[in-house]
Amino acid sequence: MGSKQKERVHAILYWGLPVLAVILIVVAWVLFSAQHPELMPDPVSVWKRLIKTFVKPIGNTNLFGHAWASLSRVLLALLIAWAFGIFFGILIGWNRTARAIFGSIFEVIRPIPPIAWIPIMIMWFGIGELPKILLVFIGTFVPLVINTSAGISMVDKINISVGKVFGGSNMQILKDIVIPTALPSIFAGIRTSVSSGWTTVLAAEMLAAQRGLGSLVTKGWQGSDMALVLVAVITIAIIGSLLSFLLNKLEKVVCPWNSNK
Amino acid sequence: MEQQQMTKKMEVKGISKTFYNKNSYFTAIENVSFDVKDGEFLVILGPGRCGKTVLLNIIAGLEEKTEGAVIYNGKEISGVNPEVGMVFQKLALMPFKTVLQNVELGMKFRGVPKAERHEVARRYIDLVGLKGFENSYPTQLSGGMKQRVGIARAYANDPKVLIMDEPFGQLDAQTRYSMQNEILRIWEQEKRTVVFVTNNIEEACYLGDRIILLSDCPAKVKEIYNIEIPRPRNMVSKEFMDLRAKISDNTDLAI
Repeated sequence: MGSKQKERVHAILYWGLPVLAVILIVVAWVLFSAQHPELMPDPVSVWKRLIKTFVKPIGNTNLFGHAWASLSRVLLALLIAWAFGIFFGILIGWNRTARAIFGSIFEVIRPIPPIAWIPIMIMWFGIGELPKILLVFIGTFVPLVINTSAGISMVDKINISVGKVFGGSNMQILKDIVIPTALPSIFAGIRTSVSSGWTTVLAAEMLAAQRGLGSLVTKGWQGSDMALVLVAVITIAIIGSLLSFLLNKLEKVVCPWNSNK
Repeated sequence: MEQQQMTKKMEVKGISKTFYNKNSYFTAIENVSFDVKDGEFLVILGPGRCGKTVLLNIIAGLEEKTEGAVIYNGKEISGVNPEVGMVFQKLALMPFKTVLQNVELGMKFRGVPKAERHEVARRYIDLVGLKGFENSYPTQLSGGMKQRVGIARAYANDPKVLIMDEPFGQLDAQTRYSMQNEILRIWEQEKRTVVFVTNNIEEACYLGDRIILLSDCPAKVKEIYNIEIPRPRNMVSKEFMDLRAKISDNTDLAI
């Protein structure tokens, strides 16, 4: 009886605390904006500004259009980055020759923050879609390669011995033992790539774009329209957390053994 | 009695293994020779951490030897011997595969059709007493159950010689005793040649038809014991205690 009650209290507590945290932030926001309206618009005017983006579109599209512009850039770049990044990561982690050829290149590129590529991309490719997608690709490709190859090369030697004793060919061992063993690391790479891609696309849009949530931030900033900046920032935050929520769900589907602990 | 008629299945001839580092070397195994007879339960008993796993890996073809040869059915073997199976000390189950998928691994690699694979795997899962756990993941099983999966996996691949590398080393004493009986039951039912490695004298005396006693580093063959005590053996009978004392007196102390 006692433990059941305790469980119920815990359930309420762990559902309630996040809600409480959000409420506290909103309260702090209301209090702060009441005292310093010039620094921080209050929630109601942000809400009104949000409605206005649908009535009076910016750059010929509403808030959804801007969100979709950012999202579609990220998703396209991510798909390409996942395909290439995981492939290269497996290659580098599994094959010593490939590691010798490509490994050092990635080590050199790794510490460069993606936004440092922005001037190069603009100079080479202008301000169209291509440089933005390329930029996100660079920002997401590298963590994928690094995580995947680390995961592959850290597979316990004994697991490979198992594969050999049970008569597996190199390809079978790679496919049935090594890649699944590395899957949690690969997934960590995917997770990093999504958050890094989302950050990078917004940074790219802030510098040069007609559409996208990043461009809304810049427009609000330049027009001293703090409410618009907040609309964009909140939308960015909501989409970012939705993406990570979806990834959690996906991880449970892809790596079911990990969630059984 | 029967043992005299047993034919030689495998011959380990003058195996040595030395590991070389930059400016030092370390001999793990020195000139180890013994036969493995067809159908026997052979125990390799070694005191320390030295050499046993390396020796097994050499027999299984997972590791290069510095000197010597492994003869199987009269032919020298190099590389992995497909007729040798292995139960690993560290279990080495695939955490991302269910019990059934783990047990099927060898058959999958050999391209056995799915239906047949399932059937054979289920038979061995039943044999090791894990019926009902086919779709569990290893993390959901206890230590003893995990090692049963390792045993089923090895048997399901239909090896002629089964190597077991201290399979019960990580189990608690109670589970260990029951697994010893299990392994004898399975061995009697399946009649494969077993090479069982342990550092536990009692376990060696309880299980083996013969015991190869190794010395401490580097591992050499110290003595070979034929055990005539009929099974099931009583661990507190006089003959068992005598044998145990005899081997114990002859064993190097491991530090």
